[in-house]
Amino acid sequence: MKISIRDAGETKIVEIEGDVDLGTSPDLRRTLLKTLLEAPKLALNLAAIRYIDSSGIATLLEVLKDSQRRNKEFVLYGLSPAVQQVFHLTHVVRIFQVFQTEEEALGSA
Amino acid sequence: MTGHLQLKFTMPSDPRYLPVVRGAIAPLAAAIGWDESDCRAITLALDEALANIIRHAYHNRADGLIELECRESADGLEVTLLDNGEPPDRTKICARAIACDQPGGLGTHIIKDVMDTVSYQATPAGNRFVATKLLRKTI
Repeated sequence: MKISIRDAGETKIVEIEGDVDLGTSPDLRRTLLKTLLEAPKLALNLAAIRYIDSSGIATLLEVLKDSQRRNKEFVLYGLSPAVQQVFHLTHVVRIFQVFQTEEEALGSA
Repeated sequence: MTGHLQLKFTMPSDPRYLPVVRGAIAPLAAAIGWDESDCRAITLALDEALANIIRHAYHNRADGLIELECRESADGLEVTLLDNGEPPDRTKICARAIACDQPGGLGTHIIKDVMDTVSYQATPAGNRFVATKLLRKTI
């Protein structure tokens, strides 16, 4: 799994590439919780994710909870059919703010 | 070609092997006859079962062993996992509803939703997880 971070105005955009599973989700968790502290809004690009398991979904839920506690915004975009399927199987698809494109995700505030 | 498809191997309880297993399960499910979406779901369910063994039976120790057997049956797929870690606490399996404020336990819900039957047994040979998935053919 590769993680990269860039700025778009006051938003931090985190991009993930590869597989998010039991072995890699701790790295994602650390990165997202740290990056959340650095901006009022965090947008996560999931377009290049090949696979995500329940530990990855649990990580996203934890970051969402932390963002709500800190009055910050956490949005997702670029979900592939494979990632959408896992969101549906775990019944979390309505819990997150999900957008198709980066432009939509950045304009959601 | 004749004969039922079968895959059997032993893996360490190390999460770095999970992508290797996923890489084998999805093509096996496709060869049995499932479509891409079902292959992804079956792969996810078995990955979750293995991850549960690593986390809960072996407590994230990487030096345990997990035996995995996938066998094409007359009506689908049967998967057996065997480990020698701590037996699962059956009272905690799928004991909690999925909710935003409690992210744990999602894996067992996925396994239950995707597979048609799931069983956990403590045997003299170790903890035995068996799950089956029926191939529903459409005409």
